[in-house]
Amino acid sequence: MLLQTEHVSKEFNGIYALRDIDFQLDAGDIHGLVGENGAGKSTLIKLLTGVYQLREGRLLWNGEPVTISNPADSRALGIRVIHQDRTLIPTFNGIENCYLGLEYPTRLGRVDWAAMERRVWQTMEDLGIDLDLKKTAAELSPPQRTELEIVRAMMTDCRLLILDEPTASLTDQEAGRLFRLLRDLRQKGTSILCVTHRLDEIFLLTDRVTVLRNGRLVDTVPTASVTREQLIAKMTEQAAVEPVCRRETFGPVLLEVKDMASRDGRVKQGSLALHSGEILGLFGLGGSGRTELLECIFGYRALSAGTVLLDGKERPGLTPEEAIRSGMVLISEDRRGKAMIGNLSVRDNILLSSIDTFSRRGVLRTKAGNGAAEEQIESLHIKLASPNQRMLELSGGNQQKAVFARALMTAPRIFLCDEPTQAVDVATRSDIHHLLRRKADEGAGVLYVSSDLKELLEVADNILVMARGRTTVCWKNRDLTARQVLACCYENQEKEAQP
Amino acid sequence: MNRSAPKKILQTYGTVLALAVIVLAFSLIRPDKFCTLTNFINITRQISLLVMISLGTTLVMSVNEFDLSVGSMASLGGVMAALLAVKGLPMAVCFLLPAAVSFCIGLLNGWIVARFRVLSFITTLGMSTVLSGVIYLLSGGATVFEGIPKSFSFLGTTKLGRVPLLSILMVVFVVLFWFLLEHTTLGRKFYAIGGNEETAKIAGIRVRKYKTIAFALCAVMACVTGMLIASRVGSANTTAGDGYFLQSYAAVFIGCTVSRKGIPNAAGTLVGAAILGILANGLTILQMPSYMQNIITGGIIILAVIAQRAGHGDAA
Repeated sequence: MLLQTEHVSKEFNGIYALRDIDFQLDAGDIHGLVGENGAGKSTLIKLLTGVYQLREGRLLWNGEPVTISNPADSRALGIRVIHQDRTLIPTFNGIENCYLGLEYPTRLGRVDWAAMERRVWQTMEDLGIDLDLKKTAAELSPPQRTELEIVRAMMTDCRLLILDEPTASLTDQEAGRLFRLLRDLRQKGTSILCVTHRLDEIFLLTDRVTVLRNGRLVDTVPTASVTREQLIAKMTEQAAVEPVCRRETFGPVLLEVKDMASRDGRVKQGSLALHSGEILGLFGLGGSGRTELLECIFGYRALSAGTVLLDGKERPGLTPEEAIRSGMVLISEDRRGKAMIGNLSVRDNILLSSIDTFSRRGVLRTKAGNGAAEEQIESLHIKLASPNQRMLELSGGNQQKAVFARALMTAPRIFLCDEPTQAVDVATRSDIHHLLRRKADEGAGVLYVSSDLKELLEVADNILVMARGRTTVCWKNRDLTARQVLACCYENQEKEAQP
Repeated sequence: MNRSAPKKILQTYGTVLALAVIVLAFSLIRPDKFCTLTNFINITRQISLLVMISLGTTLVMSVNEFDLSVGSMASLGGVMAALLAVKGLPMAVCFLLPAAVSFCIGLLNGWIVARFRVLSFITTLGMSTVLSGVIYLLSGGATVFEGIPKSFSFLGTTKLGRVPLLSILMVVFVVLFWFLLEHTTLGRKFYAIGGNEETAKIAGIRVRKYKTIAFALCAVMACVTGMLIASRVGSANTTAGDGYFLQSYAAVFIGCTVSRKGIPNAAGTLVGAAILGILANGLTILQMPSYMQNIITGGIIILAVIAQRAGHGDAA
């Protein structure tokens, strides 16, 4: 037994985030940790990594009681963590990033770069990772950054590697590589604790899986002994989620994009047509320009070419403000960075786009605004203590619902959704799918970007593939398989790679 | 719940409590001189100018920018008003024209910062230097005092009963700015931009426009303050506003600690300026040398920032 917790509880302001947790992690295991948002996964990890201090219960490491009162204690035990939000310094190169938190070796008082490079190379070789160490973290692709983080974690003796949503920004193929790497690590005796919302990964990767629900440990079982449905049932009180219906007939074209290119070259040629009633899935591998295309359409990213037509009318030089007034909304993939204002209240966040409609000559009609915000909170079942609560205090799923609430306040007809279910729990994911389907049925059009192909196959009516900054084929989502879509992606990517 | 309640109270009202403690301490040490109605009225007049310039700074900080040119803007405002008064122009023109000019300078500040996405810190530092040059150009570097008509001093020296007009103006401006930030769409948009510019932009808020407005209003407040300084003393010193610049940021920073969210706000700025003003007043009454006043005031500013960090640090 590498790690064991006994009767571990953690409370914040009188509310228990974790209650009476008896968790066990065997040495040499890949252990999955699942649960809805707010189930206590992050809290448990923060206790193990010394971000939070344990006050109730105790921790056993290799059978010995230990106290982890700060991150340094956790590191000293051999615990490393790779966060969902990557923690590399963008302007540092590979070697410098690997040496964060380590003593730089010196020779005659000068930093011995050669020795550092040798040691990083050695670690990479042991792991079978090949990276250009001269590149800064900002120049690496998302999967390369993950690999660099793993290299950094393995620079010193690592007994337990904790991964928090490691594949959030990766495509299936990239995730596959990561999994092979993790299995290798297990062979070498490193235990792995993996937190993820993607259940497929649990089945692909883990030996055992622990389910948390509302701060309690529901069960720990060998992964092979449960089915996906059983796992979901353990995570949620209700039974498995209801799938959304798909449509085949649509209304008129709401949004048309012709030959769009972004000034920074991330989007080279984007064209699409979105109909009333349609959920159009946009799929692309990492770096394919899908996020950028959405931002270009919305007027948030500078264009160098192309036209946007709304209801058949050309709209040159569209700004986000005009886009919203024309009935468009963008749900950004980067929730903290672009979709919410953490230190403002949930209410302020919800009213952000529609504040002018709740004012008379610039003066707020507080009551009307509050009422409208509370209506949204109720209809979307956002769980919070009060609308005055600060946005960053909500769980991820509830934050995302509040982001949707803000979007709905402007009564949009065109939804541009970029990874709208990223890092949200199963129930919220289903809520969002059903919400968008309902809006589409009411006549809206939804452009739905996801790097989770299975999700797209589940919700989209049509699927458009994007590769290397260009939109390519658009399929009807009928009898379509993941293999077909992926094959198309790679084909286009290779075609592009050849001059 | 109970264990954290006192902490929450301290977090929200700690700064106000500190103000009360300071007042109480001075009252106990020198009840005869400090704790009198005359002195309290005096204090409101002493802090009134600082409060007004700080309210402008509060706006710029609410959109998460800095305007380091408020000091020289104030000096310029005073010099412009005085020069116009010397020329014998009507008082309305003497005070409104500089305000209009400062509005344009503020627009320029904001436009440069928002349009080119450059650091406001550096931009306004540059502007500050430009303005000091302009002041010299206009005044020849000398204090403007000869030939200023008596009516020029009306705003700065009039009293209504025992209460100076400046104190009343201060209250009016505090209420105005409180209303602006809390109860108008303009204020909510400022806070949205200050909270997260990218989110604000995607939510359809015209970030450039509102940032520019914040800079413009800030410059006008600095100019108004400078004109009132000149009106109060009956002359315009070319560096009259310089001393207010750091003090105003101190007041806003202390003021942030009054808000539970830790953001700039009008009431907080008033409390911040009051703490600084009462310290200065009380320490002078205690005949503390000015270098000691500097040490104490500076220390309090640093403590305020630390207190705010500590209060909000473990909330996340």
